[in-house]
Amino acid sequence: MNKVMTMKEAVSKYVKSGDILFVAGAQHGTPSATLHEIVRQRIDHLSVVSVLAQSTLLIGEGLVDKMITGYAAQDYTVSYPLQKAKAMNRFPVFEEYSHFGISLALSAGYMGIPFIPTKGHLGSDMPKYNKNIEVIDCPFIGGKIAAIRAIVPDVGIIHVQRADAEGNAQKWGSLGVDQEGINASRKVIVTTEKIVDSDIIRRDPNRTIIPGFRVSAVVEQPWGAFPARLAGCYNSDRGGVMRVDEQGFEDYLKNYVYGVGDWNEFVEKVKTSKGADYFDKLRIKNPVTSEPIITGL
Amino acid sequence: MTQGEKEARYSAGEQMIVSAAHQIIDNDVVYVGVGVPMVATLLAKYTHAPNCITITENGIVRVTKFPMNESTDVQTMADQLPGMFYVNCLAQAGYINTGFLGAGQIDRYGNINTTVVGDFYKPEHRWNGSGGGNDVISFCHRTIVTIRQSRRRFLQKVDFITSPGYLDGRPGQREEIGLPPNTGPSVVISNLGIYTFEDREMALKSIHSDLGVTLDQVKAEVGWDIKIALDLTDTEPPTDEELRLLREVVDPQRIFARRAESSGWQQQS
Repeated sequence: MNKVMTMKEAVSKYVKSGDILFVAGAQHGTPSATLHEIVRQRIDHLSVVSVLAQSTLLIGEGLVDKMITGYAAQDYTVSYPLQKAKAMNRFPVFEEYSHFGISLALSAGYMGIPFIPTKGHLGSDMPKYNKNIEVIDCPFIGGKIAAIRAIVPDVGIIHVQRADAEGNAQKWGSLGVDQEGINASRKVIVTTEKIVDSDIIRRDPNRTIIPGFRVSAVVEQPWGAFPARLAGCYNSDRGGVMRVDEQGFEDYLKNYVYGVGDWNEFVEKVKTSKGADYFDKLRIKNPVTSEPIITGL
Repeated sequence: MTQGEKEARYSAGEQMIVSAAHQIIDNDVVYVGVGVPMVATLLAKYTHAPNCITITENGIVRVTKFPMNESTDVQTMADQLPGMFYVNCLAQAGYINTGFLGAGQIDRYGNINTTVVGDFYKPEHRWNGSGGGNDVISFCHRTIVTIRQSRRRFLQKVDFITSPGYLDGRPGQREEIGLPPNTGPSVVISNLGIYTFEDREMALKSIHSDLGVTLDQVKAEVGWDIKIALDLTDTEPPTDEELRLLREVVDPQRIFARRAESSGWQQQS
């Protein structure tokens, strides 16, 4: 089934107020374009699950009730978006785990089980403040073990290098918790640099991170991870365009979020301010090709 | 050589990185936090530990050296890119012998706080949380910690245990609560000195005397009556070759030596 649609359509159809939202990408392949569309549509009361993801925009616009994470900036004294959320009384609750804790919670969701045991988090104060981490007795070898409750996101968003029209999605490079998180999610929005023929997917099926039948929407979105990098496609611009001082953040929202209809307009607007060759300069200069894997009869 | 000239030869941040590198043994499998720990591990790879394996918390396994500015990048030079779940499974199953992380606060028994200063609900300050820190110190056989030392950071008891050390110092407590046996912090490196653990309690092992640091200064920046090792010594200063490699090859923009000195770890926003 062809699931290709516009970003606007995908987000309005599949992301709802009150959702648990999984944001893929650990400083690599962030679904930036999708996050901007969620802000543009002002979908609120979200619980965001991520590792190392950029949620500043969502938080600053007061759209996040809860951050479920192992590592996130929480110091509002140095960040205007966080101050803005605080001033609106929309500062999120932080539900904290370690990196492994998040990946375990998502793994349990992915596996369809209520919790997963681990030897981590024991002795830490995290379980005291996070009701989804409990210490239990091991039924087999005795002793204590931590139980991390499953997280099943209502919707997951991921940006990949290539996917076919049915949603078979292939991502490579640093994966963070993409595999666990996207497969734990009930609904999945795949954005891709390029929609490719299914034959390309089937010639390297080990690389498929989620199969088409689990995907709700496919959006072709070049530069969809900018300003994060995407392996084999482009490097990051660590400065990016957004600033986190008051003027910079508000200007960014006005011009680059609410002031454009979609991400393609965003890209054009960035070119106007940063130079026509700005994106070309971010393209990787020395692509390295792996040996093809061989399959066949 | 006068004291002033000596101080100019290298900084406390460089001493921290070099001392931390000395803790890495060749063929170690090192679970390394981003930033200062990574620079030190890389320096070890360029010097005495060329065969150590670096595993980063975001899920990169590397045998080779790599440029610092691509340390979390994966376009090239990784041997395996399995993601966060897999590398932590390696650690939990006991296949990573050495951990390496930075800290915001540390206490007498090596418990680490990177979460909150003050009350959890009414904090004076919020850090970014565990990241891989809790995983590293829970699972690795030994863990190296870097931290900037001050009375506000070296406490009798940390405000929040993000990553467990030896808890209240009683023997066998880590095992009792379910952590894997024979794990925990093994050495703490600050801008003033180096500490090891004697009966699960931090003990001052060496002082950065060559930088002009004195025992009184060290004591003044610890929030409890610090145990002094019987074989207390002077920290081995960096060699010219170590400094050359650090400045010219490993950290040519000299970002991390400054970062080591200012906080002992990297705080990402």
